[in-house]
Amino acid sequence: MTHPLEQLRDEALREIGSAPDEQALESVRVKYLGKSGSVSAWGEQMKTLAKEEKPVIGKLLNDVRNAVTAAIEARAQQFRSQKESGALAKIDISLPGTPRDIGALHPLTQMWERSIEIFRRMGFALADGPDVEDEWHCFDALNTPPEHPARNEQDTFYLPDGRLLRTHTSTVQIRTMRGAPPPIRVIAPGAAYRRDELDATHSPQFHQIEGLYVDENVSVADLKGTLEFFMRELFGADTGVEFRPHFFPFTEPSLEVYVKSKALKGGERWIEVAGSGVVHPAVFEQVNKARGDKAYDPEKWSGFAFGLGMDRLAMILFDIPDIRLFAQNDLRFLRQFA
Amino acid sequence: MKFLVNWLREFVDLPRTPEEIADLLTRAGVETKNIETCRAKIEKVLVSQITASSRHPNADRLTVCEVDDGSGTKRQIVCGATNYKVGDKVPLALSGAKLPNGTEIRKSKLRGVDSEGMLCSPIELGLGEDASGLLILSPEAKVGAPITDLFPSDTILDVEITPNRGDLLSHFGLAREIAALTGKKLKSTPREAKIPVKKTGVTITATPECPFFSARRIDKVKVGPSPQWLRAEIESVGIRSINNIVDISNFVMLELGQPTHAFDADKLRGDINVRLARDGEKFLALDGKTYSLKPDNCVVADQERAVGIGGVMGGEETGVTESTRNVLLEAAYFLPASVRRTARELDLPSDASYRFERGVDPEMVLRASARATELIQEITGGTVAREIHVAGELPSNPSDVSLIYEKCDRVVGIAIKPKTIDEILTHFGLKKISAAKITKWKIPSYRRDLQRDVDLIEEVVRAYGANKIPGRDRSRFTPSTAADREYDLETHMRERLVARGLFEARTSKLISRNASAFSKGAVELRNPLSEDHVALRPSLIAGLLGVLEGNIRAGAESVSIFEIGRAFIPPSGKEERHLALLLWGNVAGAPNWRSQAKRSLDLFDLKGALECVVPNLSFRRGKFPGLALAVEVCSGDQLVGFGGQLLADKSSAPGSVLVAELHADLLLATGESAKKFRELDRYPAIRRDIAMLVPDEISQEKILRTIGEPREPLLESIELFDLFSGGEIGTGRKSLAYRLTYRDRSRTLTSEEVNAAHAKIRERLRRDLGAELRE
Repeated sequence: MTHPLEQLRDEALREIGSAPDEQALESVRVKYLGKSGSVSAWGEQMKTLAKEEKPVIGKLLNDVRNAVTAAIEARAQQFRSQKESGALAKIDISLPGTPRDIGALHPLTQMWERSIEIFRRMGFALADGPDVEDEWHCFDALNTPPEHPARNEQDTFYLPDGRLLRTHTSTVQIRTMRGAPPPIRVIAPGAAYRRDELDATHSPQFHQIEGLYVDENVSVADLKGTLEFFMRELFGADTGVEFRPHFFPFTEPSLEVYVKSKALKGGERWIEVAGSGVVHPAVFEQVNKARGDKAYDPEKWSGFAFGLGMDRLAMILFDIPDIRLFAQNDLRFLRQFA
Repeated sequence: MKFLVNWLREFVDLPRTPEEIADLLTRAGVETKNIETCRAKIEKVLVSQITASSRHPNADRLTVCEVDDGSGTKRQIVCGATNYKVGDKVPLALSGAKLPNGTEIRKSKLRGVDSEGMLCSPIELGLGEDASGLLILSPEAKVGAPITDLFPSDTILDVEITPNRGDLLSHFGLAREIAALTGKKLKSTPREAKIPVKKTGVTITATPECPFFSARRIDKVKVGPSPQWLRAEIESVGIRSINNIVDISNFVMLELGQPTHAFDADKLRGDINVRLARDGEKFLALDGKTYSLKPDNCVVADQERAVGIGGVMGGEETGVTESTRNVLLEAAYFLPASVRRTARELDLPSDASYRFERGVDPEMVLRASARATELIQEITGGTVAREIHVAGELPSNPSDVSLIYEKCDRVVGIAIKPKTIDEILTHFGLKKISAAKITKWKIPSYRRDLQRDVDLIEEVVRAYGANKIPGRDRSRFTPSTAADREYDLETHMRERLVARGLFEARTSKLISRNASAFSKGAVELRNPLSEDHVALRPSLIAGLLGVLEGNIRAGAESVSIFEIGRAFIPPSGKEERHLALLLWGNVAGAPNWRSQAKRSLDLFDLKGALECVVPNLSFRRGKFPGLALAVEVCSGDQLVGFGGQLLADKSSAPGSVLVAELHADLLLATGESAKKFRELDRYPAIRRDIAMLVPDEISQEKILRTIGEPREPLLESIELFDLFSGGEIGTGRKSLAYRLTYRDRSRTLTSEEVNAAHAKIRERLRRDLGAELRE
């Protein structure tokens, strides 16, 4: 036989289960658990019970109250989540995200960052030198004495005091070697200048990464390995890299670097991307003279150097057709590289 | 330089196709830029002979010719040229012929007279530039033969010769290189000239500039237009035809690389003397311009005046013309450095100076003279003097060069067999004269660029093939440098600004004169090229203003940009790394569907951007040219830059333009090292707000000082969260609201002690600032 309290519980649970909305649920709560509700009324009756009955009925009353309270809470939670999911279902998730202010690095900076990151992974540190240079650092020290046909003063910007704007970042090779004995493993990002008319592929100011590696027994093979790795990291593992003999006064042998990759626009043909070579012993001799020692003994040390055209590489990598876009800084252009 | 493939073929057997020649050369460092066809195969153009000619009945400028095309029947052709006579042989394009310029020939009526084809000029057949009249063919030409028998089609290679390889600036020279690279023998070499020498008639007083000079007389020449083959040959590689003598001189230069010059011998006054110019000496050159010479210019002179600038250009007065009867042919060796200096000083580059600058082959000087003389005799019918007048000595042969095979391996990075090295060097014309451990090599006279062992190693690499050398990993550990740290800090700055919504610009370091108020005193270039690039920027702001204007023209409504880069500080042009910002327009992204707030960027956006790059900046009012509102920016006690709002007339942009420029090197120098951890707060904070009304002139700084001094130990931070004026507050006052955070790091605060501290602060505000506190 069930106790009347148990009957009361079952009746309450039934009504809770069938309450159609929050309001109905509230009246059920009041009916059973309210101050004068039927469960609460049992609390009053407890006082009249026999002493031996009290603990038994007391426990039963407690259980019933807990069960009814939990059932009401569960039912209320049901109502709340129904309401919430109804509202969420109406949200148009195709609306745009809240606009955020995000700027962008200039594509040339991005090109520089990519390149520097690769060279740093290979163990190169950074070096630096001024844009305004003297003739010695720009030409003489680089085995290009006055009257040398490669010494193209026509293409060089001069300051009134005879200094010049460096025509290549190779000046940093000299500055680095003057400042420290071998071994040397540096790259130097920077601007260089030539008296070129501005057009789609020429700019009086352009950008390079210079590289210099001086150690014992450095060879053409090391130069090739370094630049092949760089080009494949930059343009993809299946990039073709080719080296063609060339002439620079400050390297011997001298090699121009070409890449070819189907992934690049126009990359089905070889594209010239860098100049490089084994450091000419005459450059070491000039450095020694300036240092006043024999730190760069050409019989003990050898090295390779290279210059990468950043504008060119960025144009290839990002498929940019006109070098002038870099200096215009049109936001529509910059935003494309965000 | 442009090379004709058939001309090269006279000296060496070539690879099968022009593409293969180009590839061979390019891989050996002689870059072939372009391959073009010249004299494409033309069909239905024949050798014909004019048998009669009469006036056109209806046109003064036309004639009607009867020509024999070899088929037996005469053809009638209407012709506009006048340079022919009956009996001449000329090219005839028959109906159906298609000329290189695209013209298709058909039978037609010209002013009522039938014409069965066209008689052609050289330019119409792609044989040079001459458009002045018909191409008159040699009398030996066979009537009826296709014109391509006389002028076979050819290919032009456009080759970039590096400045160290003057020996390649001729057809013979390039053929010799091809022979060396392919291991083939040369078919012919210029014969050694065996001419009796006479040491009179020529003297040299400028010996260092001109070590050797020769002159040979050819009498009774007949100067006139060149035969067509000669003309076609030189014109197809870009040299203008002048007359047969001059053309021969140019032809020999193209063939052998040695420039020669022909004087009108009757206009020379006395013997030749090669000397330095007198200061200011005037000289009328063949280009028709008068040059004022300097004492370091070497001239070829007669007894009265300069008749040529040595190695650069001959004189107008003594040049060969149609009336010249006797010529004196110069062939000399000029010092490369001297020629280069002179050509540069006078801004007078020439085909001759180009070659002398790069060094001609001393052994070719007299051979070229002999070759030119031979051609002059053949073509102009002159009488060549038995002897040649010479002065000076040809430069001695280049020094021998030593090479250790191991050194070659060391530089290349792989072992190459000594036998292979020997073969390569021998093909390039070197002779091994000592086979000891250190081998010794005799260098040919035309390879003065081979001076030390690495030069020989380069020859080995060129011929062996750079692509056959495998790449090797040479990575090593390298400690970071100061430049690394600066680069990292600079990168960090860039990233912060980008994350804040600014775009990075990179503007030209070369700016126009007076680009803006921010470019005063900029260091100017001595030799600028264009008006846009005249001076080195002393500030980055001029460039950013240019970017702003460009973007406004392109329709931008908001521009937030920055640049980090070098500035050149006048007067010395000292290089500094600067950071500059420019803000204009509305806050980016607003209004949008989440927020209708539309607000113009102002000084506080500028401050906020700067503060996100460099912590703990302070700002104080300053004065700055070009700015309507200027602030000085300090980091600690150090002034690091300025910023503010541009004067309205300094930019065409509507609304306020905010700019700032900081000396970034100073910021990088104090750049952050690793940050240190601070114990997280374990006890809760208590926050209290203060809202107050104060007079307008009370600054935020003053309020903060009043709150903060004397220091209340429990007060952790103060934050302004509301500011407004006008409206119900009335004029002259503003309303501010601050949130104060109290905390003790070692215990939980009680409400009472916070109330006490807060009340003290409120009281100070009331008393010291006359603030009206709101509840």
